[in-house]
Amino acid sequence: MSATLLFVFMLSENVLIGGVYLLYPWIVRKGLLFGVYVGEEGFDAPAAHALTRRWYRAMVVTIVVGIALGSVLALFFASPLAMVVPVLLQVIAFTGLYLWAHAQACALAPVGPPPAAVAPLFATPPLSPLLPALTIAACVACGLFAVAHAWTSYGALPPRVPTHFGISGTPDAWRPKSIATVMLLPVMVLVLAVGLGGTAWLTANAKRALRRSDQGASLAAQLRFRRAMTRFLCGVALFTTLMLTVLSVSAIEVGLGHAATLGRWQMVLTAVMMAYAIGGTVYLAIRYGQGGSRLERAGAATPLTNGLADNRYWVLGMFYVNRDDPSLLVERRFGLGYTINFGNPRAVLLAVAFLGAVLALVLLAAATH
Amino acid sequence: MESDATLTVDWAAAEPVYEQVARQIRVRIAAGELAAGAALPAVRTLASDLGVNLNTVARAYRLLEGQGFVAIRERAGTVVAAPAQAPDPTSLAPLWQELREVLLRLRQAGVAREEISTMVESVVAHAGDGKR
Repeated sequence: MSATLLFVFMLSENVLIGGVYLLYPWIVRKGLLFGVYVGEEGFDAPAAHALTRRWYRAMVVTIVVGIALGSVLALFFASPLAMVVPVLLQVIAFTGLYLWAHAQACALAPVGPPPAAVAPLFATPPLSPLLPALTIAACVACGLFAVAHAWTSYGALPPRVPTHFGISGTPDAWRPKSIATVMLLPVMVLVLAVGLGGTAWLTANAKRALRRSDQGASLAAQLRFRRAMTRFLCGVALFTTLMLTVLSVSAIEVGLGHAATLGRWQMVLTAVMMAYAIGGTVYLAIRYGQGGSRLERAGAATPLTNGLADNRYWVLGMFYVNRDDPSLLVERRFGLGYTINFGNPRAVLLAVAFLGAVLALVLLAAATH
Repeated sequence: MESDATLTVDWAAAEPVYEQVARQIRVRIAAGELAAGAALPAVRTLASDLGVNLNTVARAYRLLEGQGFVAIRERAGTVVAAPAQAPDPTSLAPLWQELREVLLRLRQAGVAREEISTMVESVVAHAGDGKR
């Protein structure tokens, strides 16, 4: 890859990732400060504002340093490390800065009894399961197709098969044919299909966190956010599965000698998927905020309740652990989206099963390459 | 009690959570805010919203069913029960006894007769004559 192209990719990557990180304190629900519930008054207090400003300054410095480092690696050395090192630096710095800010915010948390729990008394109609169900079905169908195509083509493949392709779609690495080498990608497609589709389904049924005495404003905001997030995740699942299915089929076709490269559609699908994922994330954050925070801001003067406001159940503001709560997914306190209830054995089992399958496939991929 | 239709659980209260849930639903039904046939949240949904064990909500619903305020149906979930058209003498006896004991305790605590009468009339009027 040319130095200029490397620089452009590096810059885009860092601006996007850094930009999303910088959005986080802006999209949180009022009352939450770096993973700690400090109360609505504490959220508006000078100490909280000062802490947020310091965090922003540190993150901006990190992004600038990362870009500078990446620029040197790209322009002077044309090193592929330009794509990795700055991002790694950002992730490490973000984690460290978050933990520091979290510790500072803990000192601002109110002392007293845990916040009340509030729930709507009327039965609210659940989000329609149709879209997540169709998504799971379509994704699994793609995954099964990829597996079936690879399996039925296995016998016809030559003794050596392509296992890696360059950015132009031309194969640049080959390995001896084996079940692991040929079936790895299709099985990965199937596992991701189930995982991503399942995540969209679970999001539609995630735990709600309301405010007291707000005449239903926070509930309405939550439902709108969940609906939007579910649709977005369905799109991510569909695009990702489709892209990987096309990749799997194309790779087999190249191996069979029916095509010389992966083809134009592969690059188009990859670009569309990335644009959708990145653009969708930014749109959700700006339009809705975390948990619908930007929709409820006007009426967010009343106290936050339930698990989201109860500091007893949060570890480092990132891990929700409540054995009594039957919820599988709960809102993140810092960031966009949801996290699992680590106190719920079913949720932990689902997460471990999915991550375990992905890890096993990644290790297998490393072993066969 | 919330002015918008929500349940609130106070963790610092001495009253068990399931009794807090049952009491608030009972008051809303008696006040006519929840009509007969209205669906209550599913056990899992309410437990998730409150962050409590499923059995806690189930126990509250069973308590209300035993008191005649709700009907638990397998598929339809839990709905507000229609009030009885005629009083059942056998189930009324313990309620009268309970009311008698509460009234005696109020008098023992120094509450005036007039104040007790006013309270009783207010509660009954708010609940409606024979209707919830």
